[in-house]
This record gives sequence, C-alpha cells and structure tokens, in this order.
Amino acid sequence: MLNRFRMLVACALTFALCWVPGFAFAGNAEDGAQVAATAHGLSYGIEGFERLAKGTARDMEGQPEGYRFPVDEDVDLVAALAADRVVVWISPKAVEKYGLDPQDNESVSGLKALVCELDSANCMGGAQLGDVDLPWYVTAETTFDAGGYTYGFDERGADGDRYVVIASASGDAKGGARWLDSAQMVEASSVVLRDEQGPLASLASLLGGIDYRPFWVSIKTSGLALVIAFALGLFAAWKTMGTTSRVKGLLDSVFTIPMVLPPTVCGFLLLMLFGRSTGVGQWLIAHGISIVFTWPAAVISAVVVSFPLVYRTALGAFESLDTQMLDAARTLGWSERRIFAKLMMPLGWPSIAAGTVLAFARAMGEFGCTLFFAGNYAGITQTIPIAIYFEWMGGNTSVALFWVVVVIAFSFLVILFINMYTAHSQKYRKRGLSRAERKRIKDLAGQGDSLDPAGGDALRIDREALAELMRDDAALQGGR
Amino acid sequence: MFDMVSRRGFVSLSAAAAAGLGLAGCSGNKTSEPAGSDAGSAKASSKKVVELQVFAANSLEKALPEVQELYTDQTGTTFADTQFKASGDLVEQMRAGAAVDVLITASKGTMDDAEAAELVDADTREDMFVNDLVIIRAEGSDTKVEAIADVANLDGKIAIGDAKTVPAGKYANQALASVGLYTGTEGDDGEYAPEIADKVALADKVGTAAAYVSTGDCVAGFVYSSDIFRYDGIEEAFVCPEDSHKPIVYPGAVAESSEHADEAKAFIDFCLSNKKVQKIWAKYGFELSA
Repeated sequence: MLNRFRMLVACALTFALCWVPGFAFAGNAEDGAQVAATAHGLSYGIEGFERLAKGTARDMEGQPEGYRFPVDEDVDLVAALAADRVVVWISPKAVEKYGLDPQDNESVSGLKALVCELDSANCMGGAQLGDVDLPWYVTAETTFDAGGYTYGFDERGADGDRYVVIASASGDAKGGARWLDSAQMVEASSVVLRDEQGPLASLASLLGGIDYRPFWVSIKTSGLALVIAFALGLFAAWKTMGTTSRVKGLLDSVFTIPMVLPPTVCGFLLLMLFGRSTGVGQWLIAHGISIVFTWPAAVISAVVVSFPLVYRTALGAFESLDTQMLDAARTLGWSERRIFAKLMMPLGWPSIAAGTVLAFARAMGEFGCTLFFAGNYAGITQTIPIAIYFEWMGGNTSVALFWVVVVIAFSFLVILFINMYTAHSQKYRKRGLSRAERKRIKDLAGQGDSLDPAGGDALRIDREALAELMRDDAALQGGR
Repeated sequence: MFDMVSRRGFVSLSAAAAAGLGLAGCSGNKTSEPAGSDAGSAKASSKKVVELQVFAANSLEKALPEVQELYTDQTGTTFADTQFKASGDLVEQMRAGAAVDVLITASKGTMDDAEAAELVDADTREDMFVNDLVIIRAEGSDTKVEAIADVANLDGKIAIGDAKTVPAGKYANQALASVGLYTGTEGDDGEYAPEIADKVALADKVGTAAAYVSTGDCVAGFVYSSDIFRYDGIEEAFVCPEDSHKPIVYPGAVAESSEHADEAKAFIDFCLSNKKVQKIWAKYGFELSA
C-alpha cells in the first residue's frame, strides 16, 4: 500500500515537472501584443498601435478608391514601408504639441525607436521595420509624394471613416506600403504599459481558455462504444465458440480484422458505406440514416476498433474453459444461457475484464477512423487525440501539451486500475485454492462428491470452482 | 444436430449483430438529437437563430474565428464548429455528405472542383482574398534565401504542402517550376528536380508545413504570407515574386445543400464589406481581392 502511494506521488511529481515549462512558454506565446510604449526623456508615448499587413484595392461601398488601409479616427502616426524607404507621417497636432521637427533626424529618433519596438512586438513573424536599413522620410503633410507613390494620410470615404490611401502613377500602389503601422500619440505620463503576465496568471489564463469539451466527448464516446463493444464482443465470442471450425474460421477473421487493419481503412470503408458517394450510402441517407460526420459516427468508429479486443479476449477465456465442465453442466439440464451467465462469465471474468479495459483504452485513443468517418467538430466529434493533433497543427502547442498530460495521467489511472484488479483477482484465486484444500480435506473425510480430483492444477481449480458454483446454486434453490 | 445448432447460432448471431448495429445507429441518432433540439429550442426562444456551418481553407484558421465572433455579436447568427482543412479535403468532405453552408477555399481550382460536383451555388461564388507565397524559416534561424532557387542549396528539409489537396503546395511547385526545380508548370503534374527531391517534406495542409518549420524539423517551407501571422516561431525569409506562380485567390461560395442560403450569402458579404472585418483580414495578412 505504501509502495503504491509512493508511486502515485512520483507520478504526480513528474507531471508537475512536465507542466512547469509548459505554462512558462505558453505565457510567451499567448496573444496580447504590446500596443503602447514610451521611453525616458520623451514627452510623448504611443498608444493603440496597429499593424496592418495588407491593404485592399477592392471596390467597397463608402470607401475611397485605390489601395487603402482603414485606420482609426484619431491616429497621429502612420508608418509605411516601401521598397526603398520608410514613409512616416506625424499629425500636425502632435508635431506642435510635442515640439517635433519632421525634417530633423535627431528630433524624431526617439519616436523611431518606439515605432520600431512596437512594430517588432506586433509583427507576428513578418518582416520588421527595425531590421530594414532604409532612409526614413518623415512628414506632417497630409498628402505626400515619395518614390513614385502618393500617400494620402487623412483621406475620407463616403462613410466618413478615415483611410490611408496610396496611389501610384504606374498603377502598382501596393508597392508603396508592404505593411502599415498606425498609432495615437499621447503624453508620456498617460501611457499605460501592460504588465508582463506572471507564470501563474498565464497558467490561469491558459486553463481558463481551454475548451474542455474534447474530454467529455472522449468519455461519452468511448463509454458508449465500450458498452456496445462489450455486449457485441461477448455475444460474438459466445456464439463463435459453438460453431464448426470452418464457419468459426470465417467468423473469427471477420470479427478480428478491424484490429489488424489500419484504422484509416476502417474509416474509409465506413465512409464508403454511409457516405453520399456510394449507392449504399445514398440509400441509407434516403432512409434517414445520415451519420457521416456526426457523433454516432464517432461512436461507431470507436466500436469498430474496440470490438475485436473484447471479442478476442472473451473468446480466449471461453476456449480455455474445460469443455467437460460445460458438458457436465449440460447433463444437469442447464440451459446454454445459464451456462454462459453462471459458468463462462464468472470463470472467464479476469481475462474479459482485462480485455474490456484494453478496449476502453483503444476506444479513447481512436484517431484515424474517427477523423475519417466523424471528422473534427469541436464539442461533437472532437475527441482528445484529435484535439491534440489539431491544436498542435493550429499552433496552440500549450493546449496540445495540456491534453497530452491529461491523457498520460488518465493512462496511468487505467494501468493502476488494471494492476489493482489483477492483484484482487489473484487474491480471489488464492482464496479459491485454500477453499479447494479445505474441500479436499472434506473429501478425505468421506463427504466428497463424485468429482475426480485427477488432472492439472488449473483443471482442478476450475472443477472446484464449478463444484462450488453448483453447490451455491443448489443452496439457493433449496433456500427458496 | 450440433451442426444445425451452430448454423442456427450463426444466423441468429448475424441477425443480432445487424440489429445491434442498427440499434447503435438509432440510439446514436437519438442521442445526437438533443443537441439538435437544444438548438431548436434556442431558435424558438430568441426569434430565429441561425447556425452556419463554414468550411474554410486552413490558412484562415486564426482570422476567420475573429470575424465570426464579430458577426455573431452584430447579428446573433451563430456558427457550428468551423472546419479548417486543406481545401481539397474540404471538397472531399462535402462530397462525402457533410452539411455545409459556406465554403471558402484557397484556390480557384478547388472551388472549380466543388462547382463541377454541384456542391456550391455558382451564382454566389465570389473571389474574397488574395495572398502571397513566401518562403519561411524558423524565427531567428540564419537560413538565407535570396531567390527561389536558393532552396536547393539549403542544408535540411523543405516543407511543402502536398499539391494533391493543398493549394499552397501547388503554388509552391509552380514557383519551383519557374526556376526549374519542378517539372510540371501546373504544380501538381510533375516531379521535383533531383537536387531537391530528397529534401522535400510534404505536409497535409499549409499549417502543417508552417508547423514543421517552427518546430525545426524543416529549415524552410513554402506557405502563404498570412501563415506567418498566425503561427509563432516562424518568419519571412523571402517573398516569391508574383509572376512565379498563378495568382493566389480565395473564392467563397454558398453550398448547394445549405438550408440557410440567404444567411450564408449575407455572411460572405459581411466578410467583404465591414470595416472592422477588413482590419482583421489586414492584420492576418489577407488582402481583400480587388
């Protein structure tokens, strides 16, 4: 017991260790770029920084013609990068208020530094103003000609909104601004700088931002799938057992093949069967069975892949039972059903239980077939494995990591459960042995039944168990 | 006798299995209904709330949800979980019978396929965005690319979308063909030149190509310029000239099977006319097509 506890603590510690770097880097990766900045010795700062990576020349109602960028009403600062220069506009109001001289490089060098800093904070991986070594053209004029482009920094559309419009005699206005930065200028004292998030706060925001539905979808899907696979698997194993060898071989391969086939093949076949692209699928859809890309499809996928595990383990367990014993029960007039419920199930239970746990794990881990047949719909068919793949693919590594940790923890629980269960069932066996010994003593004392004690250990155990079951049963009936 | 029993058992077994499957289907259908009827009751309570199912090119994965949020705020129209996959996969998924209201793909070719299969209403088709093809590298890496042909000299793998389903891969191959590193001019009809053939890592969607580069598995990759803005850890190394590949256009259209065709059309129009939305597209590097 102490040992097990120690193991649990060790697991927990491992997870904690895994987790720490996870949220540290999540904090860096999260959205919420810096939009305000100021520096020592400056009377002004920048707020509401926006970087537009593209403009548009599309004809839109209410908007001016030409290649344009929508900007906020009160921007004081616009920076555009052309092929050979950086064009910067500062509003006359700001020039006057903060005593800037657009023609004087010294006077605007502080502003340049701020713009470069914010540009790189908002570049999201694109090229950065600070990296290009080009001359800066600073102006306070609302219309400015530079490098063959005409910049209109304060253009109005019919909708009354403000735009920066770039025109070019050559027609390629796009070259006038590979991207456009815009911002407001405010008093240095009123700049509100965003605090860096601590690791704990960013963990909280990460956990708060995670969509937990994949967990419930996974549990729900694999739970129902397990119930169905369990019933079908046992039934199939029970029925297969009694058939002749040729039929049995056929059935056996049909029932087992989903375990051997790649899950994508199962998914493909199911999609063909139920999808609109085949006659069968169209017929089914016409008759109201339209399950492709729905939750039932996820359940069916999980059933298909987990069923063989229940089936194989149950069949193995049933086949290892002593047929003489089953025949003995038949001679006593037991129905096949009763033999199944009272004999085969209890005796085969340890293997069946192990198979069931494996089937559940398989259903939880199902990916290929589900993705094919049920798709990736958050909250409906998006199970944890699918969420991990798509979160990583979508750049949300921290969320993917969270689900990985959840799955590992869950798997440990499953293994723990299996181990505990095995220990428990072994205890049961031990008890069975001691009972057998007790009975043998009874036999020696002359009260024995007619069972032949000869045979292997396993056989004897089975027989003892059988004898006990029969006796219990008789006692029950006698008691009634 | 035993034989007969077993045969009977076999028949009953198959019958039971069929019944079981049917049951599974039915019970599944039933359990899926509450979700539907929930939506139904919601419909009833707040006038008529429409839920749109959008299928969109993978590269729109970050920008489109922001637009949808804005749209929901303004009109109350909600969205089912939007599918962001390679454009070719989306068309296949529609072919297989997925319910869709709006389809936005990353190439004219994929939309043409959807139109040819009568999956979308051709009258509603509209070019929505244009995009650039760029070569990316991991953030801060010293990979230097000054021309498309330089990728042949890189020491490491190059991530390219699989041209069969990923439009970005097709454009990349066209760009490679312009410098003789790919044999077909269409982008999906040739082979890679021997000097890069063993360096190419094919990705199942453009986002995967970006992810390969950001994790360092590939030293460079061909993606859209908008992909740089939606992934951390990658940066622009080179912008492929516009004449090196066909124009990158994102067409959008209302699906033929849509039960909310008017609402779907309204959403496409909103994407192309609202000024706030225009800013979201611009932030993520999508230029509204002229």
